[in-house]
Amino acid sequence: MISRASDARPDGAGGDYTARPPLPNLLVPIDLRDAAPTAPSLFALSEGRRIARAAGATVYAIALAEGELAPETVSRLGRAGADKVLVCEGAGLDAPALDATHGAALLAAVERVSPLLVLFPAGGAGLSLGASLAARLGAAFAGPADLEVTEGDGPLPDGVGRVFVRFWAAGRTSYRRLDPVDVERPVVAILASSGPGGPAGDADIDVDVISCGPQPPHGIEPVASEPDDGAQIPLAHALVLVDPSLGPAFLAQLRAGAPAGVAVADAAQDLAAVTAAAPEVLICVGAVAAPPIATPRARVALVLPGGAEPPGARTGDVVWRVPSDVAPDALARQIGEALTSLTRERAP
Amino acid sequence: MNVLVCLRVTARTSPAPLDAADAQVLARAGALRAGGHTVTALYSSTAAESETVATSLGPHVDRAVRVAGDELTSSDFHTIGQVLATAIRRIGADLVLAPVQGEDEPLSAAPASIARHLGARYLPLVEEIVGLDASGAEVSLRAGGIRRRIRVALPAVLATTPGPGLPAAPPAVPDRSLSVETVGLSDPEATVVRRRTELLGRPEPASRGTQTVNSAAELVAALTRP
Repeated sequence: MISRASDARPDGAGGDYTARPPLPNLLVPIDLRDAAPTAPSLFALSEGRRIARAAGATVYAIALAEGELAPETVSRLGRAGADKVLVCEGAGLDAPALDATHGAALLAAVERVSPLLVLFPAGGAGLSLGASLAARLGAAFAGPADLEVTEGDGPLPDGVGRVFVRFWAAGRTSYRRLDPVDVERPVVAILASSGPGGPAGDADIDVDVISCGPQPPHGIEPVASEPDDGAQIPLAHALVLVDPSLGPAFLAQLRAGAPAGVAVADAAQDLAAVTAAAPEVLICVGAVAAPPIATPRARVALVLPGGAEPPGARTGDVVWRVPSDVAPDALARQIGEALTSLTRERAP
Repeated sequence: MNVLVCLRVTARTSPAPLDAADAQVLARAGALRAGGHTVTALYSSTAAESETVATSLGPHVDRAVRVAGDELTSSDFHTIGQVLATAIRRIGADLVLAPVQGEDEPLSAAPASIARHLGARYLPLVEEIVGLDASGAEVSLRAGGIRRRIRVALPAVLATTPGPGLPAAPPAVPDRSLSVETVGLSDPEATVVRRRTELLGRPEPASRGTQTVNSAAELVAALTRP
């Protein structure tokens, strides 16, 4: 069923969060590519569903779009774990999200739902909108982060289970753990990417539409655009970062054999795209300065062929020192087989 | 135009005066400076650190301003943004550059908070600054599977990422002395430093060991172990 609500505030001002609804709400902003939700979006919904079971919460999927969502898209969101879909309709909202163009529409949805948690999927609009939303709301911000559900402490009196948001502290020598119940305002988090979750909900769910009306002048003028050949890197749940000194043939062989959900990146050329990634598994091949580990749950492997050493002090959870008599093509084949096994092992 | 670079000294734990992310954003600012724009560096440090940082900055900026006080190192991003925005408003800036990639807090929210408090537009993950004039800044970034070039009206805060081909440090030029101005937090306009520990979360120790493996199969087993 689709229902429509009144226009959103166009000014992007923050709302009143002193009063919470009786049941906690979880909000998952959905990233759409070619009108279909990204894999991290579906994973974020499944994580929302996992928490909702423990906490008795309602999971809202929110989409910013120029028009209605296709019925199949709504069904996918429901099967992934959404209880309800909220669509913010407005001119220009199909474009990639920027705070100046999309921030007010997102805020309108947040004001409607008053969420306890806003869970952005990895590799999408959370990078553009998450920090700005948290700044507007005076909210806590964790990006990227994991969710932890602890049942041992029992539910709190208001029906909220023990749900924690975990992320790295500065310096990465310790974690930080946020209890959404402790924070007067919402917690905004960007989740790490992960493999697909299994079916978690009902395909037949309600859709509410918020009409966002014409946008005020936002000071953003598109000049040019082209498809991003590194678009899969921020979405990957497993990312292989390759030392360019291993050669283009090595990189090409790894890319050709990478299964779905796995991205292979050049550690030099793809640096900016890697910055936006939050993979669950990161494999660094060669003398690569490993980027910061995405989240506490993420695992980092170093594959060091022929006596290579990682620059810098950072090390991984797993280290494989490959003997120098293993040829590059043989190593690429072994890593490719490992990626296939890894994807199979982590499938639901 | 006045370009202000917010260095990461506020959040870093590295003993080096400037980390790689600071050096890269200075390189970007240096390109704008070569085009005739004025570049100011803003950083937060103790008085003891200040001289070392200023020496590193000397060849690369026209002006350096230090926000005095140790408090920011343990503050939440709202506080950091509010304090730095107060300083930026006083200094005056059309374009603020803040690096997000470094050893710490790669997706720090502080630049968004600075923009919020300045009433400026905010663009994250900016890979290149193509041009800057009174009508705005032209930048390239990627989002939603698209590489975009857009023009953003000023004032604006750009959170910048490292990119291929970008020098790790600004080009060397003859050293010169740089006098550092100081903005004190005690000024009433600089507001009160709040320590909202509930927004930072509670710390817990991270205990991660390293496992050595000898084959691809062992690698998979280690990575999939709960």
